Amino acid sequence: MTSSCKTWLKYAALGLATVAVIGAMIGYDRGFREYPQPDWVTATPDMRFKYGSISAEQDSGIPYWIFYVLPRVFPEKFREDGKVVPGGYAALGVPWEMGRELPVGFTQKTIGFPRVANNCAVCHTTTYRVSPDSNPVFVVGGSGHTTNVQAFFRLLIDCAKDPRFNADILMAEIKRVTHIDWIDQLLYRFLIIPMTKQRLLEREAQFAWLYREDFPDWGRGRDDGMNLTRYFMIKAPMDDYFGPADMPAIWNLKKYDPAKGSRPNYASDTHDVHSVVIDSALGVLGAPPKNNSRFMEQVEWLKAYLSELQPPNYPFPIDKARAARGKVLFASHCAACHASDKTGTALPLAEVGTDRGRLDTWNKDAAIKANKIVKEMGLERKGLVEEDLPGYHIPFLDGLWLRAPYLHNGSVPTLRDLLEPVAQRPKVFWRGYDVYDQTKVGFVSDTPEARRAGTRFDTASKAGGNQGHEFGTGLSASEKDALVEYLKTL
Amino acid sequence: MNEEFELSPSEQPPSPWKRRFLILLVLTVLIPGFIGLLLLKRFGQDIPVDYPSPTEHFKYGSTGGEHEMGFPYWIWKALPEVCPQYLPGKGYQSLGMVYEKKPDGSDRDLPVGTSQRRYQGVDRVFVNCAVCHVSTVRTAADQPATIVLGMPAATFNMKGFEEFFFRCAADPRFSEEYILPEIQRQGAKLDLLDRYLVYPIAIAIMRDRVLALAGRFDWVFKQHEWGPGRVDTFNSAKVIFNWPMHLLDPKEFDAPADFPSIWRQRQRMEPKEMQLHWDGNNTTVEERNKSAAFGTGTTPPTIDIERIKRVEAWIRDAEPPHFSDFFPVDRSLAAQGAPIYLQYCAACHGASGSEFSGEYVGTVEPLAKIGTDRRRLDSYTYTLAVNQATLYAGYPWRFTHFQKTHGYANMPLDGLWLRAPYLHNGSVPSLRDLLEPADKRPKAFYRGNDVYDPVKVGFVSNISEAGNKKFFRLDTSLPGNGNGGHEGKAYGTELSPAEKTALVEFLKTF
Repeated sequence: MTSSCKTWLKYAALGLATVAVIGAMIGYDRGFREYPQPDWVTATPDMRFKYGSISAEQDSGIPYWIFYVLPRVFPEKFREDGKVVPGGYAALGVPWEMGRELPVGFTQKTIGFPRVANNCAVCHTTTYRVSPDSNPVFVVGGSGHTTNVQAFFRLLIDCAKDPRFNADILMAEIKRVTHIDWIDQLLYRFLIIPMTKQRLLEREAQFAWLYREDFPDWGRGRDDGMNLTRYFMIKAPMDDYFGPADMPAIWNLKKYDPAKGSRPNYASDTHDVHSVVIDSALGVLGAPPKNNSRFMEQVEWLKAYLSELQPPNYPFPIDKARAARGKVLFASHCAACHASDKTGTALPLAEVGTDRGRLDTWNKDAAIKANKIVKEMGLERKGLVEEDLPGYHIPFLDGLWLRAPYLHNGSVPTLRDLLEPVAQRPKVFWRGYDVYDQTKVGFVSDTPEARRAGTRFDTASKAGGNQGHEFGTGLSASEKDALVEYLKTL
Repeated sequence: MNEEFELSPSEQPPSPWKRRFLILLVLTVLIPGFIGLLLLKRFGQDIPVDYPSPTEHFKYGSTGGEHEMGFPYWIWKALPEVCPQYLPGKGYQSLGMVYEKKPDGSDRDLPVGTSQRRYQGVDRVFVNCAVCHVSTVRTAADQPATIVLGMPAATFNMKGFEEFFFRCAADPRFSEEYILPEIQRQGAKLDLLDRYLVYPIAIAIMRDRVLALAGRFDWVFKQHEWGPGRVDTFNSAKVIFNWPMHLLDPKEFDAPADFPSIWRQRQRMEPKEMQLHWDGNNTTVEERNKSAAFGTGTTPPTIDIERIKRVEAWIRDAEPPHFSDFFPVDRSLAAQGAPIYLQYCAACHGASGSEFSGEYVGTVEPLAKIGTDRRRLDSYTYTLAVNQATLYAGYPWRFTHFQKTHGYANMPLDGLWLRAPYLHNGSVPSLRDLLEPADKRPKAFYRGNDVYDPVKVGFVSNISEAGNKKFFRLDTSLPGNGNGGHEGKAYGTELSPAEKTALVEFLKTF
């Protein structure tokens, strides 16, 4: 009797253990097991830049099927300039190649379950079109002038805050678009959906300044990057500084030479390319890396890739004779700053006179704190410059034609406009429409189509001033045209 | 001695517990299990009605759309009687749906282009590919109609069909009080379960479902009439994504296009993949088919791939009927038209109606060159193209070939005579009219008549009604209906009348 009882207990224990092991295996497989991205993602360096994971899926990744159904469940939360925009994620201006499951800069990776996150390309890919009747050309490493990052951040929080962000409604929609097995259904219903909601809501406090009614929207192609760092990384208390700036082009990074004092970031805020790549990638991760050596591998790859990446040549005809005249003007009016040893170094703000909003969003104290936090993550870098900075750096002009709108805050739509005195520059225009304007050199910014696709930019808004850099504004109209013709060749 | 009479334990009288246990077992396990099995059999089935013949399958086979969208059979039957005020005439026939005749001459139970499936305990009906790709042709008003599979559904009023259901669902009569008596009047022998449980619930569910979708289709009501034979294909495709349609650029709307013919698909895949759809926005027949199948109510998890494949196999080699089987062709006149065709048309439209070689066949002609109405082109946006690349995510056949184009595709002309009216928006009634410059083409004409005009080559378009049937007046001055373009010397509109007549005669051989 006792022996048979023991045997029975043994079997029961064995059975339980088997169930537990199988359960654990399923749990690991569906919850945590990491699969590499498919080969096409890393087939070429450009593809890797556009679609390759930088491990952001772990912490800021959104479960794929939730990401998939948000536009269908919450179409009213896709908003720009306070208006609902139809078209799903594409309506927020993200670069999106035809035939691709996700936009450029969106990465898909399976860690237990498929997740979507971002990489650098979402803010650093330019699209342009040669005419309204043509499809976009994608330029990796360029300024993401169409992407509305703020709208995307808000979208996720707004969805999470909505009572309809619940398992019943999301699961019903997910089951309309795909088949998922019962294990995944249970996981989604009881773990993934509630946890995602909670994770997104946790962001709300840190993103509070995104909702301030006394601040204008960033609009397409801009982000308030230093405030992101202050509020997100160093968790500084909210203040009134506000300084959205254009997404920069990040090609040809080898041009920065710390020995000559040329440093990346609009106010030369960062010592070197190594540091700025780390900091930007950390921004995309939204959390300390899970695996530092792997993170640094990604950083090294990006650094190498972006150091060598070259901007594309101006794709339209150039009037050679006129450009030659412009070259002379460039040498006399521009080269001392933009093609000299001074290029890339900071210039006191008073000398250029552009909007100071962006400069004021950062300071020595913030740099010290941020450096400390990154050091505590165990990442070695020279980091942010622990000084109060005098003004914006003099930009290199490589690929200038594709870097519209101009000035750090993107407050002047075209190069031709930039050569006008402030009073004659456009006061209001629309950003983020991608048809190219070959006459004024920049993007078309005030047609019915541009108004429909783009976001309104008001130069009278906070941190949106278009003043300053009144250089060459006294040239004659034909001289300006010649100069602009030359600038197309850069 | 007693030993042998002593009962061994096994031979003791059965314990009362055994009987009690058995009763308990029957009550708690066997009976519920049996009922469960019955219910499973009643409500767990997913059985489409199948047809061995590929053409019958094309006409009545399932795409899987009944899972999500299927109307319970008896509701489908009852609605035209419950909501007759939302139909232009009697029954679904009045929307131009094609009914085959039974041997006794009466209409079949369901029209061509509908399929049946028993799912969740209810027989359901919904549309399939044939609803938009089958129609009828008559050689004269007093002649019987010939049903032609694969031709554009030139008489089917899709907009009227959609609006009928939305209007009826919003009507107070869409309730069991009105629908159930009608079902019984029609002779349904519903069992008790169906009568008192299944159908009352089904009516409520269906009303809720249709009304829930009504918001997504609100834009349809705001369009100029498509009339028979046309659909706004790609605004309908936007509905899949639940975009707020009223906020789209108004230029994207009023974009009706003719249903296409679907014969000879193999030649559109091989030797090179042609740009399919009017604007050439996809080069893959299978993707094009799955995209069209959304229109039959399918969704990625509910599509019946196996049965769609049967349709795909059939349309690969299906051929249009010959004009000469209906009307005589003047062979010598046609022979005079052949060299004109070769000179003017073949490079874009293929060597003949059955041989599609030609440098520009199946490629997109820029709008600036072709000059036809641009609304259908503008209804298909880059934004839609990239969103379509998310359809069927998670399946090996995710859409990867949708592309925004900037013109209209050069089509092969197989079965051309049955593809009237002409141009993508069906704005020109006949081939002979198409060979005139735009300002000499009819400014308005009638669509939906299936009587054929063998002289102009197209359906009779100059009478507004026949019998009890009113035709649709297409006004080419309305948005989306422009009849301009495809004109000028290169397009044959400057040929002499005799040359045009010869060319048209040759086109009858396609």
